[in-house]
Amino acid sequence: MQTRPSFRLILISILLAGPVRGEEQRPRAPKAPQTDLATLLRIQTDVQKLLPQVRQALVAIQTGGGTASGVIISADGLLLTAAHVPGGPGKDMRVILEDGSVTTAKSLGLDKTTDAALAQLKQREKPWPFVKLSREVIQAQPGEWCFALGHPGGFDKSRGPVLRVGKIIKQTANSLHTDCVLMGGDSGGPLFNFTGEVIGIHSQIWENRDQNVHVSMAPFLRSWEAMQKSQVIKVWGVGAGGYLGVATVMSDDVELEVADVIDDSPAQKAGVRAGDVILSVNDDAMTDQQQFTATVRSKAAGDTLKIRLRSGGKERELAVKLAQKPQEDSE
Amino acid sequence: MTNAETCARLSGISTSSLELRHFFALRKFVIRHSAVLLLSPFFALADTPLPTLPPEQRTNGKQTLSAVSPLKPLTLDCAARIESVLERPICTATIVGADGYVLTKASEVPDLDKARVRFADGRTAALREVHREARLDLVLAQAVGITGLPVVSFGASKPLTLGQWLCSTADAGQEPRIGIVSAARRAIPGTGAALGIRMDEKTPKEVKGVRIIGIASESPAEIAGLQENDVLLNIAGEAVAQYRRVHELVNKRQPGEVIEVRYLRKDKEETCRVRLASRTKVLQNWEGEDFANGGISLRSDNFPEVLQHDIPLYPSDMGGPVTTLEGKVVGINIARVDRVTTFALPVEAFRTEAQQWIKADRHPPKAVPVK
Repeated sequence: MQTRPSFRLILISILLAGPVRGEEQRPRAPKAPQTDLATLLRIQTDVQKLLPQVRQALVAIQTGGGTASGVIISADGLLLTAAHVPGGPGKDMRVILEDGSVTTAKSLGLDKTTDAALAQLKQREKPWPFVKLSREVIQAQPGEWCFALGHPGGFDKSRGPVLRVGKIIKQTANSLHTDCVLMGGDSGGPLFNFTGEVIGIHSQIWENRDQNVHVSMAPFLRSWEAMQKSQVIKVWGVGAGGYLGVATVMSDDVELEVADVIDDSPAQKAGVRAGDVILSVNDDAMTDQQQFTATVRSKAAGDTLKIRLRSGGKERELAVKLAQKPQEDSE
Repeated sequence: MTNAETCARLSGISTSSLELRHFFALRKFVIRHSAVLLLSPFFALADTPLPTLPPEQRTNGKQTLSAVSPLKPLTLDCAARIESVLERPICTATIVGADGYVLTKASEVPDLDKARVRFADGRTAALREVHREARLDLVLAQAVGITGLPVVSFGASKPLTLGQWLCSTADAGQEPRIGIVSAARRAIPGTGAALGIRMDEKTPKEVKGVRIIGIASESPAEIAGLQENDVLLNIAGEAVAQYRRVHELVNKRQPGEVIEVRYLRKDKEETCRVRLASRTKVLQNWEGEDFANGGISLRSDNFPEVLQHDIPLYPSDMGGPVTTLEGKVVGINIARVDRVTTFALPVEAFRTEAQQWIKADRHPPKAVPVK
């Protein structure tokens, strides 16, 4: 079995990235009544009403490295998928539409820290069938019903797309967790709400059936402006900058604490340890995670950071030379 | 959660192996450890995160399942548990005759006389095999000395469309589970049976046999105790010298069938019995990467027609009834295939035949005097 550092990086980055702004008044705990048959039947009616239209926007994607899914979100053929599908910008991908017809797409920008990616389908005269994105990221609340489409195991003409209906279990800054069960080949496929808008892009699974992770629309929307301006997004800004390799957590004393240090990362090599409290970076006092993230990301690989730490009551200062982020080895 | 949990990116499956080579040649699958990080509350964001949905409120949690509790007489009560004499669950049965007739998944119970049935009312009974139909992977049996059983009410599966709710039974017929029709109904072609081994294509001339160079995770070969570097000598009574011949001998059999394998380990000849699985199963799960949760059925292909659904079930739930929300049985679960797929045989594929088997068993043909 392989372990690749970039994967851990993705997890850590999600933790570092912090919540999307302007969400302070989050409505709390969802309603939890006993479900009745009428509720299930309403879910069924709604899904079946939306399916004929939204399934047309689902595509299967074949790259040199595997088989995956994606979803068309504009009439001119802009495609959302997961970043680990193309692996990099400018990659040519074979795309199979819902009706079995084949075309190609080229990957545009991608965000490896959240696994969000964009691609552009080959131009054609006829408008592409598409679905809309949900811009109300916060509405994808735990307890809400949702449904997933994808091509698990790859495109299969006699089977067609595979539907799953489930509930949102958790919302994090950049992801949604649901009990819509996913597997290999679903990557990049859409998760829908009950107005037929895309609220997530299938990304990862853990072992349990309830552990299915989708990229939420938050990372896509963060760069939405650039997408609107040019119709084509080249590079996603998020995730640029040097690589340190720590995950942080706010401690009970509201201090910035190192929660984990990635193996072989610059932080580990310099001697940063889990449990250390980060006091300052380049003499700027660090008070929260977003500030720390922004500070690290504003530096490039090769730059040296002066980090002041407190471990076990003793303060110490380390110089850490930032590295390149470990790259996905494509193909 | 433990560190042993693994996480996988969702873009396909691959491994290089002889049995596999052309099957998933283009696919790639990556499994990584330590993925547990993201789900750990220790790493909670500074802001108070939204609460995680408690298990009882999830799609197959208690509160949601309360919607289908009125269906109990038509679902759970019409399912029975097939278990070993040591009470280990083997599979699930669907009651089709008040006088003890049950249908279940044939390849799960090659020896019905080594199993017994336990009904929802607590009664247990020995099983008498009535008819075995390999084409459908169904076996009809009768619980000996049992009467007064609740019988399923059949509906039609043809009108079912994608997204329609279905209800089934889990935990060997004791718990309801819901899910939806998740893909088009279709035939599933067979790929034959497999052991789950990679063989040396160029076994040295002086060795009389075929050397094993790789064993698939949870495969028939692994379960039977075969190991890397064992040299296969004889498969089901035929001496083997070519890896192609091993493949032929195994592949033509039915998944679920047991064959005898004679092999050489450290200059000592040994014999084992291997219960074969569908080739598809072995290939898709070469390194245990299918995340099927509880495993997949030995036979997962070669069906004339199936309904596909996303009800979260285990291989031991196969053989149980699949109903609509009105409680009409539209199929029998026939194969747990992978993390997202379960197949059910639609009622139209077996109902008429099963009724004929029962009728013939109740009224065996009388001897007719020759004129």
